[in-house]
Amino acid sequence: MNGDWITIETRDGSTVFAPGEVIGGTVSWHLQGAESLELRLLWYTEGKGDQDSRVVTTVGLGNPGENEVRPFNIRLPEGPFSFSGKLISLVWALEAVAAPGSRAARLEITVSPDRREILLPSAAGAHAGPG
Amino acid sequence: MRARDNPFAVQRVLAVRYRLAGVTWEELLERLAALRFRAAIVGPHGHGKTTLLEDLGERLGEQGFRIRTATLHEGESRLGPRRSAALFRDPHPRDLLLVDGAEQLDRLAWWHLRQRSRSAAGLIVTLHSPGLLPTLHECRTTPELLAAIAGELGGEGAADTVPGLFARHRGNLRDALRELYDDRAQLETERGPLETERGPLETERGPLETERAPLKTV
Repeated sequence: MNGDWITIETRDGSTVFAPGEVIGGTVSWHLQGAESLELRLLWYTEGKGDQDSRVVTTVGLGNPGENEVRPFNIRLPEGPFSFSGKLISLVWALEAVAAPGSRAARLEITVSPDRREILLPSAAGAHAGPG
Repeated sequence: MRARDNPFAVQRVLAVRYRLAGVTWEELLERLAALRFRAAIVGPHGHGKTTLLEDLGERLGEQGFRIRTATLHEGESRLGPRRSAALFRDPHPRDLLLVDGAEQLDRLAWWHLRQRSRSAAGLIVTLHSPGLLPTLHECRTTPELLAAIAGELGGEGAADTVPGLFARHRGNLRDALRELYDDRAQLETERGPLETERGPLETERGPLETERAPLKTV
């Protein structure tokens, strides 16, 4: 459905959080014919091996209208932390998924005690900056 | 380089879909119908069988079939309760059964699968060699295909080493792209001395990697 969009925004635009912190923000969308919409907090791995992933929290945004903005608050768990090495990265994200179809939006976030992606020594040499 | 930034990370490689050569999708689907939807996709490791099976399933789902899938990994000779349920629970005449890695099944398990699939609309399997069902498509790879995929994922220069890479992995694109991952991650420099010492064994690296236990997928 052309022209459809979904946007996830955190309250102050931050994408770095500490474990246990509450993420507040809004999901806004323009969707035609969506029967359901849900916001997911999830983590997944990226890298050389098979992908591992886990949806930690799902928030239903039932009966989505064509144009809407809905607030959300989701508490992060205590772990795992965001990290990267050469072989594997663990990435946290908020994902809004509409059905039917595959319309979705994703906002990657960083979850760690010092609010920086943990870089394993092997990757740190090649990439010094955070998240 | 962080793993998430590596252009040859697995999920980016998996996003590359099967490229039919010498046949169109329409012709393939016609041939499948002529075979009464009981057929095999054939090819060695890393030649795109699983990707083609997925793409085929998507197209057949759009035609109104109910796609039911099961995957057998190395050493798994029976379907077992979980995969049997995925294929046969609440059966429907429009069920199309897709079994990836069917050559792993022992003779009895294969016989059971064929028997139980009789009430389904079809059974499509992947095999390393022809035999169990009529061959629908034989998956082949070429250096040109590897170069195209490497170039798309890794940008200019990524395809430069392809001829040697393709030969070293005997056309197994999955393992060839894993080597490109290692190159980008600079893993080569870390294991360089080892490889130098055991140069002739280099071709054994592919199978060792494919035997690594998969991470649990939720």
